[in-house]
Order: sequence, then C-alpha cells, then structure tokens
Amino acid sequence: MTEPVFSLSGVAKRYRYFQLTDLSLRLDPGQVMGLVGPNGAGKSTTLRILMGMVQQDRGDVRVLGQSMPAAEAAVKRDVGYVSDDMRLYGSQTLAWHMRLVSGVHDTWDAAYAEQLVGRFLLHRDQPIRLMSHGERVKATLLLVLARRPRLLVLDEPTTGLDPVARHEVLTELMAVVRDETRSILFSSHNTQDVERICDRIAFLDRGRVIEDSDTAAYLDRWRRVHLDVPPGATVPRADGLIDTVQDGRLVAVTTSAYAPAFEASCAHAGIAVRDVQRMTLEEIFVATVMHHRQERAA
Amino acid sequence: MSTAVRHLIVKDLSLMRWWMVGTIGGGLVAAWLMTLSAQPISAGGVLMLCTLIILNIFMVMGGVVTERKEHVTLFLFTFPVSRRQYVAAKVVANAIAFGLPWLVLSLAVVAAIRLSAIPDGYLPLWTSLLGFVFFYYCVLLAVGLNTEANGWHATTITIGNISVNFFIMLLFGVPSVQRFGSGPTAVWAPDILILTVGEMALGVIVLVVGAVTRARRADFI
Repeated sequence: MTEPVFSLSGVAKRYRYFQLTDLSLRLDPGQVMGLVGPNGAGKSTTLRILMGMVQQDRGDVRVLGQSMPAAEAAVKRDVGYVSDDMRLYGSQTLAWHMRLVSGVHDTWDAAYAEQLVGRFLLHRDQPIRLMSHGERVKATLLLVLARRPRLLVLDEPTTGLDPVARHEVLTELMAVVRDETRSILFSSHNTQDVERICDRIAFLDRGRVIEDSDTAAYLDRWRRVHLDVPPGATVPRADGLIDTVQDGRLVAVTTSAYAPAFEASCAHAGIAVRDVQRMTLEEIFVATVMHHRQERAA
Repeated sequence: MSTAVRHLIVKDLSLMRWWMVGTIGGGLVAAWLMTLSAQPISAGGVLMLCTLIILNIFMVMGGVVTERKEHVTLFLFTFPVSRRQYVAAKVVANAIAFGLPWLVLSLAVVAAIRLSAIPDGYLPLWTSLLGFVFFYYCVLLAVGLNTEANGWHATTITIGNISVNFFIMLLFGVPSVQRFGSGPTAVWAPDILILTVGEMALGVIVLVVGAVTRARRADFI
C-alpha cells in the first residue's frame, strides 16, 4: 500500500464554541483532494493542524511520513501552504519576497518563478501593498509553487478572485498535478473549482467529515428524480434517500445511491418518471449538509 | 543555526535597519545636547530616554505585533522552522535591533558624562536608568510575543513610560547616588549595583518566560 502524503486519524480539537471530532482523512501521492464545507465547518483548522500551526488535542497526524507537529520544521521543506488570509510584507516588492523564499528553500526553481511572474502578469519590482487582491494571491502562490513542494495545502486560495484570475490560478494548479508525485489539498467554498480540479472530495460540517470519496464516483451516485405521482400511489423508497419534496402530483426525490432499479419500482407502482437529473457538486453539497443537520437535529 | 532561522533574523534586521540607524543618529544628537548642561537629567538626557523608548515601542509593535496582526506570520511560519526556532529567530533579531542602538547610545551617554560638566558620580545613575530601559524593552517584547490585544500593549506602554519618571525619582533616592552623585568619580556602591543588575536580570527572565510561553502555545497562529 502506498504511503499517504498525509493522514489524519481520530483527530480532535476543541475550542470554546467549536470542535473537530474524530477527523480521519488521507491523501495518496498524485491526488488532489477538495475539502468542502460551509463557514465554520473546520476546514481552516484542519489545514492548520496539518501544517503544525495548531496542535490537535488528540489523534495522529502524519505528513509525508512524519508525525506532526513534532516534525514540523522538516515537513515544511516539502509542503507549501497558502491561505486567503495570508499576507506578505506590504512595503516590500515581489522580488524581495522571491529572494527571501529562494534563500530559505534550496528547491527554489528560479526559471519557473520567472515563468510564473510572466504568466500571472506580475511585476517583480511592485510593492505588495500596491497590488490588487488577485495579484497578491497570485504572488503568494508564485512564492509557494516555485519551491516545487510535494504537497500543496491551499486554504480558500480562489476567494475574492475574479473569473480570469481564478482561471489562471486553477490552470497552474492543474499543471502542478500533472506531475504525479505531487499532491494538493484544496479547501474552498467554490464547488465549481473543486469539481474542476479535485479527484477526491471530503465534506466537512460542524467539525465532522460527513463524506470522503472519489469525485467522479461520488458525483455519479447522486441523482434528482422527478416523478409524477397519481393520487393513491406511494413512492417507493429509494436507496440512499436524502430528500423528498412534493408539489401536488410532482415529487422530486434526491438520492445519494442512485440505481436504475428505482425507476422500475416507480413504474411498478404506477408512477411516471419525468426525468432523472445528474446533480452538480454544489447541489450535492447543500443537500448533504442539510440532510446531516436534519439527522443530527432529529 | 538553520538556514531558515538565519534568513528570518537577517530579514528582520533588514526591515528594521533604518529604525536602528535613525535611533543611533537621534541618540547621538541627544548625547551632544547632554554635554551642554551640567545637570544629570537635562533636555539632552530626556531626549536620549525618549529616543530609546520610541525605538523599544517601534521594534516590538512593528517587528512583532503588526506582523502577527497583519497575518504575515502565516507566511513566515510556512518556512521550515519549528515554533521554538521561529520564536528564537524573532527574539534574537529583535534583541539585536534594539540592543545594538541601546549599546551604542549607552556608550554615548558614558562619553557625554565623561566629556561634559556632568559629574562622573552620576554614571551609576545613568547606567541604572539605561538598565531600566532595557528591562522595559524585555517586558514589552514578552507581552508583544504573547498577545495581539491592543489593550495589553497600551497598558504596558503607558505603565512603562510613566515608570521611567518614578524610576528616576527612585534613583535620586538611592543612598549611594545621594552621597556620591555630585562627586568627581563614579562610585559603584552595592545598592546601585544590585538595582542595576537586578532590573536587567529580571528583564531577561521576563523575556525568556515570555518566549517559552509563546513557543509552547498549542495554537501558534
């Protein structure tokens, strides 16, 4: 079995008004994992635990084969981290930051850094405080990408970016994962971004992992089935039923384990299937979170 | 010392170099002004104390607190350093940035007293006063390392600034200063020596405790 790039086992972290509970996740080399969850789900805390910035109360955290936070200094040589609230020195230029980072990391790829300066349309001699938000994010990413880390940990890196800047950033991240030895853990509210670049998805809500799956297989399991239910007919129970919404004769059934047998059961019960829709990750995300909240409230 | 730690120290010194140069320049002007008076605490002396206190506040607030408040620490902590190394680098860089001008200006004060009409008997008083500025710096740095709450910084700075006045009054009440202060030679009596060494040692202890507390915190960011 391949050694994971990182693994979290039974990790817990308690704050006054929030706690991460029994968090277990792992990522294999060459994979991109999207960490999706609403505000306050614990995404940033999870990433900061991985980076050794926050210490777990219990549980085992291993990154690149080493225990965290004990091996934080060694691990961070091969891990790049960017978060949306990370800032550079406003009074200093991008070139100054590039010199600083290249001095610290012997893996710094100067030629690639120059390519990124051009591709991101940045100016080496521009002070950071005079850059737009998008330029600052791209500058921060440049400083991380040019180190060529084995694991990229990105906390909402596309937040606040315009569509063009987002496209540039995501394109560069996709280029990174063409190298199969490198991996990305990517947290985002933007499910489109996650759907586009991630081959694994982990859903987090209120400090718990509520789903951790292969993206394609996961998306493929979900369907919203619209039914025309005549009076007196009973809708058969679908496997993985998440939600049922009725509006007169029309019933929308959301399922996380769709099987064609459900359509046959409906036909047998005299119910017409109007259509079977695939769902976007955003729709799935909302349905999953709401379903789990209802389950926990019940 | 790891490459990353060395770069963190050099980076901080590079960012603070103009403050260091400015402080030394301002302090030298103050030392020259001191030579124009025969009083132990004159306008030049007050300017000297103000210069060092301003340096203290800027070093800690600019080099430690602002960096954390503006989330630059998040960027720096991605460097391959442990918590302990990061805090050590921060303390060493800051201590050099403050300590170097403090040392140069302390020597300038000694020279000003020796070369002026100020009686050499006041050298122990000034040494202790400069020791108090060092103590104040250590306390403010320890507070700055451990909290980003404006209230704590404002309280520490206010108490520190006011305490300088009380400390000067205390110094003039020290028996050896009363007895030998206006004399032609410096007398290093046990009372002033204990006071000076004690305040500086206490400053170092406060700073070490502050740095260790910061490095041990479970949630570093």
